[in-house]
Amino acid sequence: MIDLITSLLAITMRAGASLVYATVGEIYTERSGILNLGLEGMMLMGAVSSFAVAYYTGSLVLAVLMAMLVGGLLALTHAFLTVTMRANQVVSGLSITLFGSGLASFLGQRLGPAENSHYLVGLVGPKFTPIAVPGLSQLPLVGPIFNQDPLTYILYLLVPAAWFYLYKTRAGLELRAVGENPRTADAMGVDVVKVRYLYTTIGGMLTGLGGAHLSLAYTPGWSENITGGRGWIVIALVIFAMWNPARAVLGALLFGGINAVQFRLQAAGTNIPAAYLNMLPYLTTIVVLVAMTWWEALSKRIGAPAALGKPYMREEK
Amino acid sequence: MKRWSWILIVVLLLTTVLTACGGKQEAQTEKIRLALILPSTIDDMAWSQSMYEGVMAVQKEMGEDKMEVAVSERLGNPVDAGAAIRQYADQGYNIIIAHGSQYQNVLEEIAPDYPDVSFAYGTGYEAHDNIFAYDPQAQEGAYLQGIIAGMMTKSNIIGVVGPVEAGDAIKYNYGFQQGVEAVNPDAEVRIAYTGSFGDIAKAAELAKAHMDAGADFLTGTAQQVVGAINAAKEHGGVYWLSNDMDQSSLAPETVISAQVYHWEKVVQQIIDAHQKGETGKHIVLSFANGALELKYNPQLESQIPQEVKDAVEQAKQQIIDGTLTVKLPEN
Repeated sequence: MIDLITSLLAITMRAGASLVYATVGEIYTERSGILNLGLEGMMLMGAVSSFAVAYYTGSLVLAVLMAMLVGGLLALTHAFLTVTMRANQVVSGLSITLFGSGLASFLGQRLGPAENSHYLVGLVGPKFTPIAVPGLSQLPLVGPIFNQDPLTYILYLLVPAAWFYLYKTRAGLELRAVGENPRTADAMGVDVVKVRYLYTTIGGMLTGLGGAHLSLAYTPGWSENITGGRGWIVIALVIFAMWNPARAVLGALLFGGINAVQFRLQAAGTNIPAAYLNMLPYLTTIVVLVAMTWWEALSKRIGAPAALGKPYMREEK
Repeated sequence: MKRWSWILIVVLLLTTVLTACGGKQEAQTEKIRLALILPSTIDDMAWSQSMYEGVMAVQKEMGEDKMEVAVSERLGNPVDAGAAIRQYADQGYNIIIAHGSQYQNVLEEIAPDYPDVSFAYGTGYEAHDNIFAYDPQAQEGAYLQGIIAGMMTKSNIIGVVGPVEAGDAIKYNYGFQQGVEAVNPDAEVRIAYTGSFGDIAKAAELAKAHMDAGADFLTGTAQQVVGAINAAKEHGGVYWLSNDMDQSSLAPETVISAQVYHWEKVVQQIIDAHQKGETGKHIVLSFANGALELKYNPQLESQIPQEVKDAVEQAKQQIIDGTLTVKLPEN
């Protein structure tokens, strides 16, 4: 039993890392009042570009930087459209997703070496492998926490830092103020445009990193549609987390954990029809989402930034 | 200001449409113009890539001046595909292959408007007027691969990484199960589904779950298996039986055999029928007509005992001469 739980935790953590990166990124973006639905496209672009860089240069560090650069650039486009041009955030985000996923599969067929008909699929590049912490990784139950790839270890620092920054620093307060009430923030002397550009771009960089985790660590290599809709799951996880980076981990672990459990059940030869088991992670997400929103509503603490999705115009009333 | 942002968005969207649908256009002399509509991409290492390579093989044979090919990828949604199909028909393409069973209804809708164009889709069997239906008997090769797995497994646990419990996957898994049962009634075939066709990461997770549960032979269908094969390769000590095309290039030490679809024979048949002005046919891919083939990975062939190869060969002959029929699930 303990072995089973330990192995479930190991799988859950591996499956959850990319979700946590993108969720924390999107939380920061949405906290500034910008809704970015381009996650799926940014993750795919992060995955394809980081794999290509890793394959050609052999450097995982460069690959990760490339994923952040590409994710950041796409998010910057979104920021330009929605902050400066005040375009509809939903439309702009969706077009980033369409553009990103189309371009990613296009690049996947062009960036490869000639001997592989210029495809990236099927190539083996450098990858992040789990590094076990001596001693700690042998512990029962919690052992897997100390046997992860470097990108996951970074999350152990990133998540608490993201939480601390958001709730305990002046800059975090300014970020939240811009998302709740940009007019007041502006009056306080906060540069709303700068804040929104900055955190939308940072969000994109983290999302690109989430994509890189898929192609460099979780399922090493490039394949078409490697994200499999994870960008959309992240949007649900952000609400699930009530825009709190610390809770993002819980959501990603719950979603990934139930997925791992249902695959184990199927592999153990259960008689429950696969369709019901496949549904479980999504069903649980919906149920918990409803329950939590209800509870939050009762205690009058809705987490959504009040100005989310609204463009800010200084002169307008 | 606002107007500019809309223009930018439109440009972004247009670029997407162009990258997604941008076909490959070749030589402009008359003769056969063939358009291929694919649900995934030409590099999916499975269903779509095998058909694309089949079409390209025919084009190479006929010469680029005799045959022009256009490809549209990522049109898994039949509604989007319908728009592309009409466009190709309007542009004067003679043969339009929509590579998936989901396109049947949309072809029924469009085909009557273009009586001079030949349409094809598959897996399916309903062919009429100018619609061809092709129908791979996936259960046949699955049965043969079941024999390999059943005779060679040591743990007596065999895992199937299925996509969605429907159509072709059921056919394949059903045949596979019969093959295993025929040679090793003690072995357990555990059929699991990810609930998606293209989620590589989920397929990898499912393969890992199978291997942790003790499976030493794995198989599965759909383009997502790339993830499962990679997971098996990383795990080591297990074999993968591949379908659609020879996937051994992904993992030369894991993929032991493959059921290969010879789409070029199907494409050639459709072209011949079109040129003779024949009406739509139900085209079967089977071992009997050579459109299906079981291939061993040359690198691993030495690890397959001769008795296994003999049993496979015998069953193959029986399938070909009709003394053995691999059953299909009753609907």
